[in-house]
Amino acid sequence: MNNNFLNIGILTWMTFIPVVGMIAVLLVPKEQKTTIRWISLGATIVQLIFSVIIYTNFDRSLAGVNNAATMQFVERYSWIDIKSVEWFGRIHIEYFLGIDGISVPMVLLTALISFVAVLSSWSIEKSIKGYFALLLLLDTGMMGVFVSLDFFLFYVFWEIMLLPMYFLIGIWGGPRREYAAIKFFIYTLFGSVLMLLVLIALYFSVSIPDASTGELVHTFDMIAMMNPANYEANSLLFGLNTSWRYIAYVGLFIGFAIKVPIFPFHTWLPDAHVEAPTAISVILAGVLLKMGTYGLMRVAMPIFPDAAIYYLYPLAFLGFINIVYGALCAMAQTDFKKLIAYSSVSHMGIVLLGMAALNTQGMIGAMFQMFNHGTITAMLFLIVGVIYDRTHTRGLNDFGGLMNQMPKYSAIMVIAFFAALGLPGLSGFVSEVFSFLGAFQTFRWITIASTLGIVLTAGYMLWTLQRVFLGELPEKWKSLTDINNRELIMLVPLAIIVILLGVYPTPILDLMNASANELVDFIKGENNLTILGQ
Amino acid sequence: MLEQVYNSLQFIKPELILVGTLLVSIIVDLIFKNKKVVVAFVILGLVLSFYYLTFLNSINQLIFFNMYAIDPFAYFFKIFLLVATIGIVLFSVLSKEISDLKSREGEFYYFLVALTIGMFLMTSSTNLIMMYLAIELTSLTSYMLAGFMKEEKSSSEASLKYVLYGAFSSGMMLYGISIIYGLTGSFDLLAINMAIADGVSSLALLISTVLMFVGFGYKISAVPFHFWTPDVYEGSPISVTTILSVASKAAGFSMLMRTAKIMFIDPYAAPTVNDWQIIDSVPIVEILTILSVLTMTLGNLVAIWQSNLKRLLAYSSIAHAGYLLLGVLTMNNEGYSATLIYFVTYLFMNVGAFLIVMLVSNKLNSSDIDSYKGLGMKSPFIGVMFALFLISLTGLPPTAGFVGKLYIFAALVNKKLILLAVIGVLNSVVSLYYYVRIFRNMFLRESDIETPEIKLSLAEKLLILVFAIPTIGLGLYFAPLVEFAHASVEIFSGN
Amino acid sequence: MLNLYDYIFYFFAIVILGSSFVVVFSRNIVHSAFALLFTFFGVAGFYVLLSADFLAITQLLVYVGGILVLLLFGVMLTNNIVNVEIKSGTMQTLPASLIAALIAGLLCGIFYVSNWYLVPTTPELLNNTTAVAIGYAFITTWILPFEVASVVLLVAMIGAVIIARREKAPEVE
Repeated sequence: MNNNFLNIGILTWMTFIPVVGMIAVLLVPKEQKTTIRWISLGATIVQLIFSVIIYTNFDRSLAGVNNAATMQFVERYSWIDIKSVEWFGRIHIEYFLGIDGISVPMVLLTALISFVAVLSSWSIEKSIKGYFALLLLLDTGMMGVFVSLDFFLFYVFWEIMLLPMYFLIGIWGGPRREYAAIKFFIYTLFGSVLMLLVLIALYFSVSIPDASTGELVHTFDMIAMMNPANYEANSLLFGLNTSWRYIAYVGLFIGFAIKVPIFPFHTWLPDAHVEAPTAISVILAGVLLKMGTYGLMRVAMPIFPDAAIYYLYPLAFLGFINIVYGALCAMAQTDFKKLIAYSSVSHMGIVLLGMAALNTQGMIGAMFQMFNHGTITAMLFLIVGVIYDRTHTRGLNDFGGLMNQMPKYSAIMVIAFFAALGLPGLSGFVSEVFSFLGAFQTFRWITIASTLGIVLTAGYMLWTLQRVFLGELPEKWKSLTDINNRELIMLVPLAIIVILLGVYPTPILDLMNASANELVDFIKGENNLTILGQ
Repeated sequence: MLEQVYNSLQFIKPELILVGTLLVSIIVDLIFKNKKVVVAFVILGLVLSFYYLTFLNSINQLIFFNMYAIDPFAYFFKIFLLVATIGIVLFSVLSKEISDLKSREGEFYYFLVALTIGMFLMTSSTNLIMMYLAIELTSLTSYMLAGFMKEEKSSSEASLKYVLYGAFSSGMMLYGISIIYGLTGSFDLLAINMAIADGVSSLALLISTVLMFVGFGYKISAVPFHFWTPDVYEGSPISVTTILSVASKAAGFSMLMRTAKIMFIDPYAAPTVNDWQIIDSVPIVEILTILSVLTMTLGNLVAIWQSNLKRLLAYSSIAHAGYLLLGVLTMNNEGYSATLIYFVTYLFMNVGAFLIVMLVSNKLNSSDIDSYKGLGMKSPFIGVMFALFLISLTGLPPTAGFVGKLYIFAALVNKKLILLAVIGVLNSVVSLYYYVRIFRNMFLRESDIETPEIKLSLAEKLLILVFAIPTIGLGLYFAPLVEFAHASVEIFSGN
Repeated sequence: MLNLYDYIFYFFAIVILGSSFVVVFSRNIVHSAFALLFTFFGVAGFYVLLSADFLAITQLLVYVGGILVLLLFGVMLTNNIVNVEIKSGTMQTLPASLIAALIAGLLCGIFYVSNWYLVPTTPELLNNTTAVAIGYAFITTWILPFEVASVVLLVAMIGAVIIARREKAPEVE
C-alpha cells in the first residue's frame, strides 16, 4: 500500500494541500482574479485526487477505532516533547494522523464538498483573494479534524476552523452577517473551551509507557485514552461510572452538540445559514455539522463508553427532539435557506438516533446518514444559491411555476428534495432505514415517535416543491435562464452520488462496516451491560 | 563582612551596568543635542547588561546578607524584563508621541533604564525593606513616564491619578510591613517565614498580609486595586502604557510569587514533589482566589463597553492579570511555571497589539475603535497582524496565547480546582466578544469617513514581525519555553 | 500603673494627634504648615523615648529644619496661595467615616490581642549612642538598600525637576 508521496504521508498532503494553495493565492496580485480561482480549484482537485487514492487503497477489513495497529495511512511523529522534571512528567504531543472506517467517509466528503464549494464561489467578486485564502484555510481545518488521532492536534484543527468561518460569514454574508458570525463564533468557542478542560483532565489521567525507556508518559493519544488500563489510579477520570467521568462526558458532549447542532444549542445554525454565502452554507451543512457527530463517535463515546451508555436514553431523546422539532420549524419557514437549515437539524437528529441505538445497523445508519446528509444538503444549498443568484430573493412564496421555465434545474432539485425526504432508490432512504431499524431495536417508542418526523419532512418538502415549481409563473421571472454549465458541474456529480448510493450503497457501506461493528462492540463490551430492549 | 559585600558585587553586574547606563545617559543627554545618541547609549547599556546577565543562569545564591537573591527564578524575570525593555525602546523610537517630546526625548529613555533597575530589584529582593525601595523606585519612574507628555491634559491627569493611588497603596503596604516586623522582628523573608511557622497572632498576620497585598495588587492592577489602570493606560504615551502593562506587571508578579512562596510555606513540613504545604494560619490561597476571580471577571466584563482601544486593552490587561493569578494561586511548581509561560506569551502578544495601536494612532491620531473601521481591508498587513495578536490574546490555537492558557488551566485541573478552571475558560469566551469587536470594525465594516491607507516603513514592519513571529511560533513549538520555565521554578521545589 | 515614661509618651501622642488634626482640617494653609511643625516635633520626641537618638536628631534636622522650612518658604513666596480654597468637597461622608472607623478599630484591636516581638532591652543598648551602629550597618549589612535609596533619590530629584521645569514656548516658524 503506497501511502507516501514524495516521502510525505498522504494524509499530510490531504490536510496541507489547501494551505499550500492558500499561500499561492496570497502571493498572486489581487487583480488576477481568474488565477486566484484556478489556484484554489487546483488545490481542491489535488485533494480530490488524493482522496480517490485513499478510497482505492483503503483496506476494508481493518476496523481501527480503538486499535492503533488497524488504523490506516498512519503518520506518527513526535511534535513537542518536553523532558520531565521531578515534579512534572514528560509532555509528549504527537503529530499523529490515521484514518479508519469512521473517518474515511468524512475525508472523502470533505474533499468533495470543498471542491464543490470552490466551484460555487466562482461568482464571488468582493475581496476575492481573502475569500479564497480563508476558504482554503477552512478546508485544512476540517480535513485536519477528521484525520488527527492526537487529541491536542484534533483540538488545534478544531479551533483553526473558527476564525476563517467567522470572517467568511462576516464579510461575505447577507445583511445580518455580523450578528450571525459572532453568534457562531461565541457558541462554538463556548463549546470548545469545555472540550479543552476535558482534554486537560484526560491528559493528566492517562499515561502510557514510553516505547524505549518504559517511563510513564502522559499522552494526548486518543487511542490510548480509550483503554481503561491506561488510566492512572487516583487520577480524576480513573475508573468507570464515576461522577467525574459523567461530567467530563457532558463537557465533551456540549462541545460537540453545539456543532451538530443538537437542541437546545441549535439557535446559531439558522442565522449562520441564512447569512452565509452559498459556498459557506454548503460547507457548513456539508462538513461542519458532521464534525459534531464525528466527534461523538470518534472521541466522546469510545473514551467514555460508560458515560455514553449512561446517557444513552437522553441522547436518543435529543435525537427525537431534533428530528421532530427541526421538521416542525422547517414547515413554518418561508425563507428557502432557513427551511433547509431546519431540515438539517432534523436530519442530524437521525444520526443521533442511529448512534444512540448502539447496534451495528444503527451505527452504520448514523455514519451513512452523515455522508448522505453532507451530499444532499450541499445540493439543496447549491440549488438555493442558483436561484438566489438569479432572483436575489429566497422567499418561497415569491416563486411558482418554475418547472417549465427551468427544466434542467427542476430535475436536479427534484432529485435533491426526494433524497432529502427519504424516497427509496435515493441515498437518504438507505441511511434513514438503517438508523430507524437500529433504533427500533433499542428504543421502541422513541423511534416510533421519531418517524413522525419523516412524515413531516415529506410534508414540507413536497409543499416546497409545489410552491416553487407548480402554479402560475410570476411575470417577473419570465426571463429566468436555466442552470448553466458551471452549476451543472457542481450539482451533477452530487446527484450521481445520491442516486448511485441509493441503488447500490455498498461502496460506502463497505468502508465503514468493520469500524461500525468494532465501535459498537467496544462500547458495549467495555461495560458488559446488556443493552436496553435486547 | 566587607568581604561578603565584595563577593556579592560580581553577581549584580547587570544591575551595576544599568545604574552606570543611567548615570552616563544623564550626562550624555546634557551634552548632545541629538537625542538619538542617548537612545544608542541606552540600547548599548541594556544589551551589555543582557550579556552579563546570561552568565548568571545557573547561579543560586543569596547575596548582600540575604537581601538579594540571584536564582533562576529572578534570572527568568530579568531576561524577560530586558527583552521587554529593549523592545519598548525600539518601539518608542518609532513613536510619534515620543519624538514629539524633542528636547526631553533623552530623559524619557534614561527613565526607562531607571524603571528597569527598579524592576530588577523587585524580582530579586528577599527583604521587605529592599522590596519597598524597589517598588518605590519603579513607581516614581512610572509616575514620571506616565506624565511625560505634560502638555497633554490627559497625560498629566494620568500621572496625578497614578501618584495618588500609588502613594495610598504604598502607604498601606508600608503599614503592613511594619506590623509584620512588629510580629516577627525581621524584614528578611526567610526569617519571617520561620517566625510565622513558629506561630504569631493570626489576626494581625492576616491584616498585615492583606495590607501588603494592597501594594502588590496595585502593581499588578488586580481588582479592587485597579482603578488607576484605565486612566493611566489611556492618558500615558502608548510606549509607557505598554511597559506598564507588561514589564511592571511582571515585576509585580515576580515579587508577589516570591513572597507568597517564601513567607507562607511551612518550613517544617516534609518536602513534597509538587504541592507546597502552606502554613495553616494564613488564608493566602483564599485571598489569591478572590483577587483572581474578581480581576478577570471584572476586567473582561468592563472591557466589553470600552470604545477607546487603549482603554479596552487596559481592561483586557486587568483580565490577563486575573488569569496569571490563577497560576499563582495553585501554589505549586506547576502553577508557577504556568504563570511564567503565560507571561512570555503575554509579552509578545500584548506588546504587539499595543505596537499596532501606536502605529495607527501615529497616522490617524486616534485610538478610538471607530477609527479602525475598514482598516483591515485598506491596510491588510496591519489588519492581519492585529488580528493575530488579538486571537492570541483570546487564547485560540495555534498561537502563543493558547499555550499560556493551556498551561494555566492544566495546572488548575491537575490540582482539581475544576470550578476555577471553568470560570477561567468562560471568561475567555467573554473576552472573545470584545476582541471580535475590533475584528468586526477592521474587516466587516466600511469606514464612514475617508481614512488614508496606512503605509508602514520597513523598520515598523520589521518590529511588528519581531513580535508576530514568536506569537505564532511559540504556539506551534513551545518546548524550549516550557523547559525554561520549568527550570526557573526549580529553585522553589527544594528550598 | 503609669510611670514617667508613659506620661511622656501620652504627652507626645496628644501633641502628634492634635496637631495633625489641625494640619488636615485647617482651612488656612499657613496654619496647616505650622501645625505640621508640632507633628514632626512629637515624632522626634517618640524617637527619643525609644532611645533612638540619631533618628531623633535627624528628624529634627531634616523634617523640621529642612523640609518644613522649605515648605513655608514655598507657601509664602507663592502669590495668593494663602487665600486659595485648598480643600475639595467631601462626598459620601457617612460611609467613608464608617469604614475608616471600622479599620481603625480593627487596627487598634490587633494591637491589644497580638503578641508582639520585643527587643530585649539591655543597659548597653539603652546607654550607648546609636550613630556608630547605624553608620556601621549602612556600609555592611544594609549597604544594598542604602545604595538603592541613593538611586531612588536621584530619580526622584530629576523627576521633580522635569515636572517643575517650565517648557519653552513652542517654536514659532
